[in-house]
Amino acid sequence: MKLRLDPRAKLFLLVLSNLTLFLHVSLRTEIMLVVLLLSLYFLSGKTKSGLRMTAVYLSLVAADLFVIPIAEGFVLNFLSMLSVGIRMMLPCVISGGYAFSTTTVGEMVCAMRKLKIPEVIIIPCVTVVRFFPTIAEDYRHIRNAMALRGIATGNMALLRHPVQSLEYILIPLLMNSNNVAQDLSVASMTKGISMPGVHTSMTEIKMTKTDYLYMVLCTIPFVLFLGGVM
Amino acid sequence: MIKSENCSFQYNGTDTKALKSLNITVNPGECVVLCGKSGCGKTTLTRLVNGLSPSFFYGELEGSCATFGLQVGRAAIEDYVPVVGSVFQNPKTQYFNVDTTAELAFPCENMGMPSARIKERVAECAAEFGIEYLLDRSIFRLSGGEKQRIAFAAACMLKPQLLVLDEPTSNLDYKAIAHLHDMIAKKKAEGTTIIIAEHRLAWISDIADRYCFFENGTLKGQWSADDFRKLPVETLQSMGLRPLDISPYHRQAVEKSKNRPAGDSPVIRAENLSVGYGKNSPVYYVPDFEIHKGEIVGLMGHNGVGKSTLAKTLCGLLKPVSGVIAPAKDKDRIRHSFMVMQDVNYQLFSDSVREEVLLGAANPEMCDEVLAALGLLEMSDRHPMSLSGGQKQRVAIACAMLSGKEFIVLDEPTSGLDYYHMTQVAQLLSKLKEQNTAVLVITHDEELAAGWCDRVIYLDDKEK
Repeated sequence: MKLRLDPRAKLFLLVLSNLTLFLHVSLRTEIMLVVLLLSLYFLSGKTKSGLRMTAVYLSLVAADLFVIPIAEGFVLNFLSMLSVGIRMMLPCVISGGYAFSTTTVGEMVCAMRKLKIPEVIIIPCVTVVRFFPTIAEDYRHIRNAMALRGIATGNMALLRHPVQSLEYILIPLLMNSNNVAQDLSVASMTKGISMPGVHTSMTEIKMTKTDYLYMVLCTIPFVLFLGGVM
Repeated sequence: MIKSENCSFQYNGTDTKALKSLNITVNPGECVVLCGKSGCGKTTLTRLVNGLSPSFFYGELEGSCATFGLQVGRAAIEDYVPVVGSVFQNPKTQYFNVDTTAELAFPCENMGMPSARIKERVAECAAEFGIEYLLDRSIFRLSGGEKQRIAFAAACMLKPQLLVLDEPTSNLDYKAIAHLHDMIAKKKAEGTTIIIAEHRLAWISDIADRYCFFENGTLKGQWSADDFRKLPVETLQSMGLRPLDISPYHRQAVEKSKNRPAGDSPVIRAENLSVGYGKNSPVYYVPDFEIHKGEIVGLMGHNGVGKSTLAKTLCGLLKPVSGVIAPAKDKDRIRHSFMVMQDVNYQLFSDSVREEVLLGAANPEMCDEVLAALGLLEMSDRHPMSLSGGQKQRVAIACAMLSGKEFIVLDEPTSGLDYYHMTQVAQLLSKLKEQNTAVLVITHDEELAAGWCDRVIYLDDKEK
């Protein structure tokens, strides 16, 4: 049985990992939290990305513990930047990556509705998720059209004439998005997106004992840190 | 039931009425087809019937139009939601969710139905139309036809009494149309009232009860399905309408697939060509291909047999997976090729029509001549994005003509066009041919292929 956390629990974990960044927690606290977060990947069957994240984190910690004490000059600067700058972000990346890759849009919407977030915020969020993949596709079409017209061909051209290239890409992209936005509004209005009253969700989410357990587990390192134990 | 009395509508920012004193009654359970040239007012009528005008598409309304007791202009758009289901033209832009099941659930969620009821209804609806295999799929991975089937099912989720379809098939191939046809037939048999605004008339002829012909915003005539079927093809053509029976055109197109290429110096030639986007995507096999100057070649076949992939490879936008192609270098092929895309919005970059057609033009001195020939001279200072869809397409064709390139691909140039506008595009193809250009037309339009292509190449699934 694979582990499935409630989106609200995932949100809580995301907030926790952000706290590691702001509170400058000790390395030991950080490792405890990261171990807990990484186990989520393995428990939910995301072994591949779990291993990848583990490898990155381990090598950064190793650099911090074993290489930095003996390094000098440029190597020292470079490694400190890596181990401090990137490693501190990693807990957020790990919990964020987990939340994104395991939450469907339906679950997200349902969680937002349960948190009593108003529809005027929920609908733009859903729209953004819907729009992203289309932008990548639109971009490919536009680059093709530019190649056939002999405009900014090759990747170097984008660097040589950034402003002009941006204009050639942005104008069709925006014009097209405008059309899509209108079609989308029309279609969703006929499906009742603007209906007054409560909107429900087909997807059901429920906080279970596992959710609470995990939330408590992940809070322990902080309590220990703040209590001065670690 | 729908009852319209002396109803007129004029969109804001326009100077003519889109619909002029319309009187029409549609009885419960009836299937009415609205036909006529683009801009004749049929889409406007669908918007009055499903409440989008004047609530969303603003304008001035006169007279009355009632849909199952809802008075247009007085009833809110939300009042229409449980009564009317709508399906639109573009399969790409009418779904709000990223997966199919969520899209079906969407109307029910908006109505505040409890989760268990929604799940039940989704399962029931999927079973009714035999689309269970489409559930829980990412909408981005569906074909146009599959998207349109989901869109139709989603429109039926709240069991509406009326279904309004606005050119639902313009982007579909014949297989996909057949699926949609069966779904509509099922709803009609259940007693749902159906209104379809459509250019392609053949596929719907056995479901339709009545045909309404519009011209310049006026309802010019109504026929029962039987009477309409008796109208000769010439009469339909003079009305700007597509034929009710496409089988003769299909036979002609098939006949043309036996023609051999004419000429001895091909612009592009390929042998044993495999085309595809590379890893993790399908590869299509094309045994041989060649195209000569002054030829119009139709490229036909179902959605997803690799027509666009082949065309992109021929234009040099994609590297062939394997096989021989001449010119061999992608860059050389790009230099000699031009493509008029199905969605021309992607290829218009400039502030005015004149600048647009001069961008990258090899023969700028011909600019006025070409603009005049395409009827674009009087709008040469306008912004391309302010033009209508057909005018934008003509701008793209003008770019192609001025580019001096010898190989021009047009991707579905006649999708969603009535007979009159289809022949206009066909004449442009002939102009390109006169310029001694090699023209490749990707199309589902058998009427176009039969009438204007010198030969036809059918790609089929078997050759994958």
